[in-house]
Amino acid sequence: MQPRWQLLPAPGPGGPRPTAPMLALLLLLALQGAAAAPAGSAGSTGSEHSGWRQDAELQSGLLQQAARAALHFFNFRAGSPSALRVVSAVQQGRAWVNSKKERKVDLVFTTERYNPEEGEERLGKCSARVFFRNEKPRPAINVTCTRFVEKSKRQQEDYLLYKHMKQLKTPLEVVSIPDSHGHIDPSLRPIWELAFLGGSYVMWEKTTQFSHYYMAQLSSLKQWKTNDNAIDFDYTVLLHEFPTQEIIPCRIHLVWYPGKPLKVKYHCHGLQTPEEASGIEEGSAVAPTELSNF
Amino acid sequence: MQGAPGGGMGPGLSPVDRRMLLVCSFILAAALGQMNFTGHQVLRILAKNEKQLSLLRDLEGLKPQKVDFWRGPARPSLPVDMRVPFSELKDVKAYLEAHGLAYRIMIKDIQVLLDQEREAMAKSRRLERSTSSFSYSSYHTLEEIYSWMDNLVTEHSDIVSKIQIGHSFENRSILVLKFSTGGSQRPAIWMDTGIHSREWITHATGIWTAKKIVNEYGKDRILTNILKSMDIFVEIVSNPDGFAFTHSMNRLWRKNKCNRPGVFCIGVDLNRNWRSGFGGNGSNDNPCSETYRGPYPHSEPEVAAIVDFITAHGNIKALISIHSYSQMLMYPYGHLLEPVSNQEELYNLAKDAVQALYKVHGIKYIYGSVSTTLYVASGITVDWAYDSGIKYAFSFELRDTGRYGFLLPATEIIPTAQEMWMAIQTIMKHTLNHPY
Repeated sequence: MQPRWQLLPAPGPGGPRPTAPMLALLLLLALQGAAAAPAGSAGSTGSEHSGWRQDAELQSGLLQQAARAALHFFNFRAGSPSALRVVSAVQQGRAWVNSKKERKVDLVFTTERYNPEEGEERLGKCSARVFFRNEKPRPAINVTCTRFVEKSKRQQEDYLLYKHMKQLKTPLEVVSIPDSHGHIDPSLRPIWELAFLGGSYVMWEKTTQFSHYYMAQLSSLKQWKTNDNAIDFDYTVLLHEFPTQEIIPCRIHLVWYPGKPLKVKYHCHGLQTPEEASGIEEGSAVAPTELSNF
Repeated sequence: MQGAPGGGMGPGLSPVDRRMLLVCSFILAAALGQMNFTGHQVLRILAKNEKQLSLLRDLEGLKPQKVDFWRGPARPSLPVDMRVPFSELKDVKAYLEAHGLAYRIMIKDIQVLLDQEREAMAKSRRLERSTSSFSYSSYHTLEEIYSWMDNLVTEHSDIVSKIQIGHSFENRSILVLKFSTGGSQRPAIWMDTGIHSREWITHATGIWTAKKIVNEYGKDRILTNILKSMDIFVEIVSNPDGFAFTHSMNRLWRKNKCNRPGVFCIGVDLNRNWRSGFGGNGSNDNPCSETYRGPYPHSEPEVAAIVDFITAHGNIKALISIHSYSQMLMYPYGHLLEPVSNQEELYNLAKDAVQALYKVHGIKYIYGSVSTTLYVASGITVDWAYDSGIKYAFSFELRDTGRYGFLLPATEIIPTAQEMWMAIQTIMKHTLNHPY
């Protein structure tokens, strides 16, 4: 039996009404979803209706969660520090829950550039399917977004960013971006963007159905030389965790070359208790074929 | 700083000017890191006659470039002030004593004096003399904010006064500004910012708002009406210890600085310490947690101060507690999912306030109860306020939605405060028009 579609408009101060192209996109997604078996989602392989039931009490928070997670994953996989995006608004979504309390969320949302240029107000659009594995982190994500920066322009900007980084004195040591007053020196902005790119990977991996993250500050940085001319960053970011309000320091090591997949390793610290050694998490760039480990 | 040496007319600059010039040039040189005057002393010598004067002039010849006269040997009975480097002190003093020249040490260590002066100069640069020269588009230190408050009260003593409602854990004053056109124990509106010290945009918004109130009184119809029959209380630095800590050591500190014996970590989340749903799921009993609720309700002096004040006042009709970030306007409850009894009224008021806010710069805030909009949180300010009979209890989360978070660029202070003003005004107006 096909699950009944119920288009739930996103709660809160109203968003735009679904348009015809949007419905087509959703239909496409639905057809795709029915066929695909998303990777890494335990307990729901293959068929749509194995134990999934409509999530009647869909909360707006869940859609926001899904959008954030999807976009972290998208930013990481795109590997382009000059084309980072942030969530603008969720337009619609629906969710299903199974007996293991895992949730599957289909949604459509708009995006803005993370670093908007003067007066730029263009919005991109993404559709995504996100699998939350109850309280476990690292949701499985399928996401596609409309292109809103031309490929050649993006490549050019990435390359400029790369060149700028290469010109910085190595080993480069930097403390606190942004500073206490929220200011990022224009010459340091590329560093922040690259750090955010690596941070996106970490934030995706740590997100659960109930926790989400923002990158609060880059608190230290070392840049290393590499033999193959890649940018090699060793840095610490402070992640702000919801709903606990904790500030989580994460040491990240990334290697980046424009156009090549990003390589990331990280290590985050737990709560400031003496016994909390076990709360440490480790991760590394994983799985899908186009990425490679250290 | 020593008093200016008295009397006498030397050639050229007066002694005071010359001394100031020298001091200033020393400061400049020291500031440029070129010279260090540690241990250097200034000796004042009283020459009794011409012979002694010439002995002093000889000294300069004996120690070329080493001693220099701030007040040169001019006439007997006029003091001679001479700077002596640390390395020459022994020799010079021996010389003076050998020749019977009486002297005393006027400045024991020039560097100390220079350091003090430099600090004082820097301080007076920051502590503005009036609220018109204060920069509203910058973030400020605790001292700067407290100084600004004093200026505000001085300049607008007809409607603003300052009340101390208590002391923080580290014994800092907890201050509230009162805006009133008279009367006694009038129904009032309470606003607090900075309960969480890292939320710098909130203090900055509180400051701008206070200034806006004094500016608009007598000009803006709505505000003037409100102040005709109501008072407004604004507590800008609700967590002074935490705030000082965000400047000195940890920009992302949230809690207060309470330090109890036997407790491994410092600080209680002041927005989990209120007696309403205290100890529930939306707070933590681990002292190391950012949402640590404290040992018991109102255990924290910063919270107790507000509780005592509002309870004693007895006539607060609206409470607005300001936080960042997330762009939300919320009402109780945080500790329960169930709606409050006047939920519909609060929902509609929030809707209007958010709409008024949106009109200013197009920024979208979402609204609803704390538990359904943000997350379940127990022991929060607005829940306590509501349970204490304050029907219009609201909590704001200001800009932004995560791009900069707590480190919101200072350029966003004024736009944030401007849009907030419209929301606050909506709430105040409703409170005025719905007495209870």
